[in-house]
Amino acid sequence: MNGAAPILETRKLSKHFGGFVANDAIDLAVQPGEIRGIIGPNGAGKSTLINLMTGVHQPSSGDVLLAGESLVGRKPHEIARKGLVRSFQVSRVFGNLSLLDNLTAPHLAAARTREACQEGVAKARRLLDLVRLTSLTDAPAKTLSGGQRVLLQAAAGFMMPALTCYLLDEPFAGVNPVIKDQLIALIEEESRARGLTFVIVSHEMAVMRRLCRKITVLIEGRVVAEGSLDEIASRADVVTAYLGKSFA
Amino acid sequence: MFSLELFTQALIAGIVIGVIYALMALGITFIYSIVKMINWSMGEFYMLGSYAQYLIVAYWLGADLWYVAAILSAATVFLIGWLIEPILIKPMFTGGIERRDDYATVVTIALLLLLRNLATAISGPYQRTPGTKLPGVMLGPLPESGARFAAFLAALAAIALFYLLLKRTWLGLALRATSQSRVGAQTAGVDVLSLDKIAFGIGVGLAGLAGALLAPVFMVYPTDGVVTTTKGFEIIVIGGLGSVPGALIAGVALGIAESLGATFIASAYQNAYGFVLLLLVLALRPSGLFGERLRQA
Amino acid sequence: MYDTRRLAVAALLLAGALACANARAQEPVTIGLVVPLSPPGDPTAGQLIRRGAELALDYYNGKGGVLGGRKLQLSVQDSQGRPEGGVAAYRRVVGEDKAVAVTGFFHSSVNIAANEVAKSMGVPTLGTQTSAADITAKHYEVAFRTHLIDPLRVAAWLEFMQKKGFKRVSLLAETSDYGVGLVTETDRQIKEKKLPIELQSLTFDRTSTDLTPQLLQVKAFKPDLLVNVGVGAPMDLMIEQAATLAITPQVPMLVSYDAPIRPQFWQLHPNTGDKLYFIAYYSPKQTLSEIGTWFTKAYEEKYKESPVYSSLNGFGDVAIIAQAVEQAKSTDPKAIIQTLETGKFAFWSSGDVTFPKADGVFWHNFSPPVLILQFQKPGQDWKEAEVVFESGK
Repeated sequence: MNGAAPILETRKLSKHFGGFVANDAIDLAVQPGEIRGIIGPNGAGKSTLINLMTGVHQPSSGDVLLAGESLVGRKPHEIARKGLVRSFQVSRVFGNLSLLDNLTAPHLAAARTREACQEGVAKARRLLDLVRLTSLTDAPAKTLSGGQRVLLQAAAGFMMPALTCYLLDEPFAGVNPVIKDQLIALIEEESRARGLTFVIVSHEMAVMRRLCRKITVLIEGRVVAEGSLDEIASRADVVTAYLGKSFA
Repeated sequence: MFSLELFTQALIAGIVIGVIYALMALGITFIYSIVKMINWSMGEFYMLGSYAQYLIVAYWLGADLWYVAAILSAATVFLIGWLIEPILIKPMFTGGIERRDDYATVVTIALLLLLRNLATAISGPYQRTPGTKLPGVMLGPLPESGARFAAFLAALAAIALFYLLLKRTWLGLALRATSQSRVGAQTAGVDVLSLDKIAFGIGVGLAGLAGALLAPVFMVYPTDGVVTTTKGFEIIVIGGLGSVPGALIAGVALGIAESLGATFIASAYQNAYGFVLLLLVLALRPSGLFGERLRQA
Repeated sequence: MYDTRRLAVAALLLAGALACANARAQEPVTIGLVVPLSPPGDPTAGQLIRRGAELALDYYNGKGGVLGGRKLQLSVQDSQGRPEGGVAAYRRVVGEDKAVAVTGFFHSSVNIAANEVAKSMGVPTLGTQTSAADITAKHYEVAFRTHLIDPLRVAAWLEFMQKKGFKRVSLLAETSDYGVGLVTETDRQIKEKKLPIELQSLTFDRTSTDLTPQLLQVKAFKPDLLVNVGVGAPMDLMIEQAATLAITPQVPMLVSYDAPIRPQFWQLHPNTGDKLYFIAYYSPKQTLSEIGTWFTKAYEEKYKESPVYSSLNGFGDVAIIAQAVEQAKSTDPKAIIQTLETGKFAFWSSGDVTFPKADGVFWHNFSPPVLILQFQKPGQDWKEAEVVFESGK
């Protein structure tokens, strides 16, 4: 048990859809600066958990806390402005907006002064540089490839001025190795430079091993294991339930 | 009975009325792109704008200050829309972020009937006019009334201002982002529900402005907005949903088609030429001149 | 033996019989008035017709009633401007209130529907302000009318054009039954009467607010007269837009009905209404019949304004029915129909009213004279407008 107070915490967080229990009393504590991985088979409740934390769905019971403050009942845009930002499995970029506008939109939502705007534009250009999309700065986002959209969307999250904790939902799915490396580099860079906290949902074990020191395993809506990838791999029940042969 | 003079006159008349049509259509396409619903009561907001202009000019400011009255009328209609949206429209989209527009669309039809009957009950079925002191002008060979020319210029200015608002301001960026992905905008910290109110208000305010500007030209009566709705939908289908330049170009194209068609083919079918144009565009470009083939998720 | 008891009984019976006869003589004669008094009908028109009808009662009852002392009374029913409302109203005034004839009709559709019931119930109808051809063109025994019909309106303006020497005429009409009907009829009568008039007829959709394309063609045609066949907003828009395109006032305009008598006319057309010609059905400057003169005076005293056509016709129709009852010496509807077909009646306008079994739409039809008035200066009261034409003169 780490001594510092967790930045993101869930307490007995549950969600029922009719009779189906998607999340069952989930306790999660993510420390500031941590890069937490969440893995689990399809239908384990990973996306539901992220939707509960970001206000897309309201929990049936339990609580979500960001830096000690409850987020239950907050609207999604309020939660985003408080610093808990997410990305989506499905691309949510603004197709008709330029790459630059895609990045400045989240920044401007919170900061409306002239200086803040200029600062935002500078920051956006730096991020575009980081993900190697500078040449497309003024092109509409719909001209991007699927992988580039994932990068753009991930980069947009970093633009929220109050960002403290970033939830990435399957950021590496269907992305080619080059872009995957760029994305990993981006996360590492932002983590190192700003001390940001990440929660990453992914199936990509190699990436998870590289990024996350601690991984939470979700099966059938419950937390069944938590620890480093090697610790988890030593748990026979987890391996048989989910990881199976593909785990190496 | 073709003559070059008649052709030029009809062409100019078509362009003038076309720009005015474009202003009428802008609100419909704008509300559709943000709130994701068809507002069938658009013509009734035009009507409210025309009555506001009549009341303000006739009982308060006088015909000399028509432009101040027009701004006040548009602001009044904006306010009405801004107040109505959370009461009548928003509750139709129950829960969640992804929404169904069927109920909201039906509500706007009910609103249409309510507003129209209310106007008849309060003011009677008679035509009124705020009057105008603007002298007539010659547009090349075409004599044009001062009020219509003023409405034409003001419509152009309003469309340009609206375009700048969308392209150059934070509100515009937020609106454009919301039109493309409501969820994405929310993730970016945009309060899409309060933006819905503003968008609905701006959309009906544009129709209200058209009503105010055209009050001295086409008169004021309870069903004076019918044209707005029919022409508006033709224009957004021709121009492509959600496109400001598309609405302007389609509006002018519609105005010219109607004017030339009614002058040189058969005058009784003035309202049909727009549909011919519409069918033609649909056959060649199903998503309209400037439309997206597929909307972004 | 002198039976005083029998005598007393006989005297009593006689007295009773006399009393009864006297009571019958005093029983009022009922006239049905089916008018629109609530929406979707036109309540204003209904009220105006009712005002006229009530004054007709005052007139005849003031002279001692009809049939040697029987008072006239009205049974007023609201048609709401709906055919089924009109049918119910007709059944009530005839079935329950025993009306001898029914009048007051304003909406054509109401009159047509009531005529179908009248055909079986046998009590005559008298259309007050209904213009559809079918009302009289079906040649029902029970159907009568006293309103202006299209062929006469057209005949009037063609005669007016002849008189003024207009040779090139533009007719700009809405594509309603009214507008298209007038265009067809004008075209037909010009050909039939071989008139030296070159007609440009253009039509427009009623929902159009911009008539510039049509008016540009009118301008290019260079007519002597532009006939405005719009109703309501299109009529007003045409007045304004023709002036904008500098067609009027060089080319005079004739409005096809009496809209310019409305109080808001000059508010809408402060600069463009001058020198306008318009069809009207009544002017205070017109020579009226004896009862018509009595009526306008009584109306002005009672309502502090001049009567309009609806009230005049409401008065005239009740007057016709009162005269028919008097001439028939009976309240039997069959006898009244017989009398209407053969008799002559006074109306508000000068000249006698008759209802001959004529051809087509002229069957059982009387149309009051058509006037064409012209404003002489901006803001002029329509009552002061000059009578430039009166049909039949």
